[in-house]
Amino acid sequence: MSILPKNVSFSRQILPVLAVIGLVVAALYIFSSLPDRSTSEPEQQPPRATGDMANSARVAGAGLVEPSSEIIDIGSALSGLVTDLRVQPGDRVEKGQPLFLVDDRAARARLAEANAAISEARAAIVEAQAAQRTANQQLALYDNLDDPAAVSRAEVIRAEGDAAAAQSRLELSRARLAAAQAQAGSAQTELNRLTVRAPITGEILAVNIRPGEFVATQGGNSQPFIQMGETIPLHVRVDIDENEAVRVKLGADAIISPRGAAEIRANAKFVRAEPLVVPKRQLTNSAAERVDVRVLQIIYALPQGDAFRVGQQVDAFIPADGSPAEEG
Amino acid sequence: MSGMETSGKPMDTSAIGGCAPDAAICARGIVRDFESGQTTIRVLHGIDTDIKPGEMTYVVGESGSGKTTLISIMCGILWPTEGEVKVFGTDIYSLSDTELVNFRLNNIGFIFQQYNLIPSIDAAANAAVPLIAQGMDIHEAREKAKVLLEKLNIADQADKLPSQLSGGQQQRVAIARALVHEPRLVVCDEPTAALDANSGRRVMDLLREVAVAEDRACIIVTHDNRIFDLADRILVLEDGEVTHDGTEMPDDH
Amino acid sequence: MLWIAIRMLTGDAQKFYGLLFGIAFSTLLITQQLTIFVNLIERGASGVYNAPEAEIWVMDPVSRTTDVNYAMPSTALDEVRSVPGVEWAVPHLRAAASVRTSAGDLEGVAIIGVDDATLIGLPERLLEGDKSILSRPDSVIIDDGGVVNLFENGEEPIGQRLELNDQRAVIRGIADSIPSFTSQVTLYTKYSQALNFVPGTRNRLTFVLAGVSEGLSAEDVAARIEQQTGLKAETRQEFADAGVSFIVENTGIPTNFGITVVLGFVVGVAIVGLTFSLFIRDNIKQFGALKAIGVTNAKIVSMVGAQAALVGTVGYALGVIGTVVFIYAFSGNPFFKGFYIPWQIPLISLVSVIIILAMTGFIALRSVLNTEPAAVFR
Repeated sequence: MSILPKNVSFSRQILPVLAVIGLVVAALYIFSSLPDRSTSEPEQQPPRATGDMANSARVAGAGLVEPSSEIIDIGSALSGLVTDLRVQPGDRVEKGQPLFLVDDRAARARLAEANAAISEARAAIVEAQAAQRTANQQLALYDNLDDPAAVSRAEVIRAEGDAAAAQSRLELSRARLAAAQAQAGSAQTELNRLTVRAPITGEILAVNIRPGEFVATQGGNSQPFIQMGETIPLHVRVDIDENEAVRVKLGADAIISPRGAAEIRANAKFVRAEPLVVPKRQLTNSAAERVDVRVLQIIYALPQGDAFRVGQQVDAFIPADGSPAEEG
Repeated sequence: MSGMETSGKPMDTSAIGGCAPDAAICARGIVRDFESGQTTIRVLHGIDTDIKPGEMTYVVGESGSGKTTLISIMCGILWPTEGEVKVFGTDIYSLSDTELVNFRLNNIGFIFQQYNLIPSIDAAANAAVPLIAQGMDIHEAREKAKVLLEKLNIADQADKLPSQLSGGQQQRVAIARALVHEPRLVVCDEPTAALDANSGRRVMDLLREVAVAEDRACIIVTHDNRIFDLADRILVLEDGEVTHDGTEMPDDH
Repeated sequence: MLWIAIRMLTGDAQKFYGLLFGIAFSTLLITQQLTIFVNLIERGASGVYNAPEAEIWVMDPVSRTTDVNYAMPSTALDEVRSVPGVEWAVPHLRAAASVRTSAGDLEGVAIIGVDDATLIGLPERLLEGDKSILSRPDSVIIDDGGVVNLFENGEEPIGQRLELNDQRAVIRGIADSIPSFTSQVTLYTKYSQALNFVPGTRNRLTFVLAGVSEGLSAEDVAARIEQQTGLKAETRQEFADAGVSFIVENTGIPTNFGITVVLGFVVGVAIVGLTFSLFIRDNIKQFGALKAIGVTNAKIVSMVGAQAALVGTVGYALGVIGTVVFIYAFSGNPFFKGFYIPWQIPLISLVSVIIILAMTGFIALRSVLNTEPAAVFR
């Protein structure tokens, strides 16, 4: 071993240098591989309260969008086959506009029958009137004879009887006409009932029947034939947990966001609070509905826009009672 | 003061009651006790002696005569129980520890019996140890040591480790180490004990050549009678007392 | 003199490398074992770290960790959303289920239901697939550790059908997640889907994950949630710590690793102490000679210090490098997935090395300092 400067010693020079280089590399590795434990921003916007409400007392709830008229399940007064469907989902309809027709052949047959009876009654009246006229002329003729012996008494009585019979035949025929007319009116009414019409002006939301299908007035649990409602404006029915319900500031605007599109925040106007607190029905995502939680339902009117659809679930933030500034 | 009290001792060649101004070492009333269990053994019984520069002074004695103790005290590595030592006028035992260490470093060269070379550094570096300890740059110190090694005829061995050298060569490196910082006092402990007669004489010749100078004192502790004839002055110690002081060995040895 | 000291040290290769080995071995043992220990118990918090968005976890007051939980009524979500300072809150379901694989094996799995709309609660990265595939029916995302456990024969997991609570589930993605402590197979799916996969109980909402409004601290908002809702709210860090302490309290892991670390220290002290003492003893004559020649004790101390420093630096470096190489080499192994070396651990082992060297160096030095320089004349 030599200590000439040119000579390099493994243990004194190479090893320490290698060790220090290795240590630096190790340190770099250690610091580069430290895990990132910082929180990250959500990729998709979750629903959040904004503006004044962000940091003040508030109540959150989940809600469903509904028409301002609530949903009207259109029914049919009479059973029968659907023969004609006049509307499609999404159509706007005026009050009274026909929605669908139920098979009206039987009603129409009865109408024709009644009309025939009317004609028949009218003919009978004419015939009875003619007979009455003849009888009356005969009777008048006898009355004008001065000579009582010119006609036998019997002949006169027969003529008087003819006139009375003609009178009553006429009355009978008139009564028949009235009956037939009433029958025709009844058939016409039934015919009208077989055309189902919009009860209010609004939008068709769902059509669950097709021509040829049988609509029954009995049987109950089947789907409504047609659902409609007034969608201008839309309302939101927000369920508030009964524990939170006391804190809600009634009358204040709510912030409403559709599920999955929390960047949309609509300012909804207060409409009313349902007077009845009901068991929680519509519930976020749960498979089995809970019944031991009751909710206060509050209705809000949504502003115009395309963001909301009837039946959509929404997240709502409502200011709580107490001034927004008192937040702690 | 102890020098005054012990001035009656025989063989005191120094000026009575004080040190000769030119004395390299002036020892007065040196007493040294060793604790050995419960008992105290007095190794030195009050020694007064002067060592003159320019001379090769032998300290001779049998094992246990106290010669090693005396020389240890005279060169500042063992505290005397009583007495005072002046080396070139400095009262070394009145110095602080650190001052004493530095005094040794600057003024005294040591040659140990077993050389005590550092096995992992080469001959030149070993010879340069006192210079390095003084704070000199390593390369400069080595160059200076090499000059001395050349004088000692082992310049060609300068880059070898002690283990690669023969006993005589190691001894020369040890001599070089003792002289490299040009001390005014050189202390040798049995320099020839491990050497054969020829090598021993050569080493002594060499020592005389390099270590003896006008302003330098050289003390050699030995009981090697083969080299007694090379002494300028011989002190004989027996049981802690100087029993002979002269240029020749007394006849009874 | 340090030049001489270093040469004295390296001149005796046997002892030099013995010392290096002792220090390196101690460092390796302490660093590596502490690293594995820390990473292992941090597995208790993996569920928290796998949901990177959540700043606050809200749970039933009896819930303890992500895996030891008790479900809340679903209205808890709205209650949390009602708390001021909560920027957002989403439902999060964690439950255990059994899965029947296509091979017919039964495997316990963890079902994690993330918010349907935002997918908050999914791990940040997917190895395969895209987060949007969860919107396809019956989709689940499996964690990468689960792939190894569930498909031991190396089958392609994507597209595999599983049976969960009589429901069909199709694996459509692989998540890059930190395995749980038990390395359980984890299936991520939408919250609404998870409800179908988990046998029905009335309450299923196990956690509500919440974000904090800007300018507020998570601790404050968590306290506010607790006060207003009566639920337990923990910040991400608190909940991660809870997971870790659960492992610490309920397993023997800390004791075992503690013993190993102490052993590493003791072995280090033994090897280094013995070798250092031997080294000094071998050189005691040289040190004595140096003392006689005129080297002060302070310089002797600095010489031994330099020797210790060299041995310490090189040995410590070798040990740390060894640990890094170990962790790096095993980073592909699923058991070691996500293992990292916390920067504090090399510092701990550095302190240990310094203590080892200080202890042994002090003992070795004592004999040198006690050496009478006069001894060289004997």
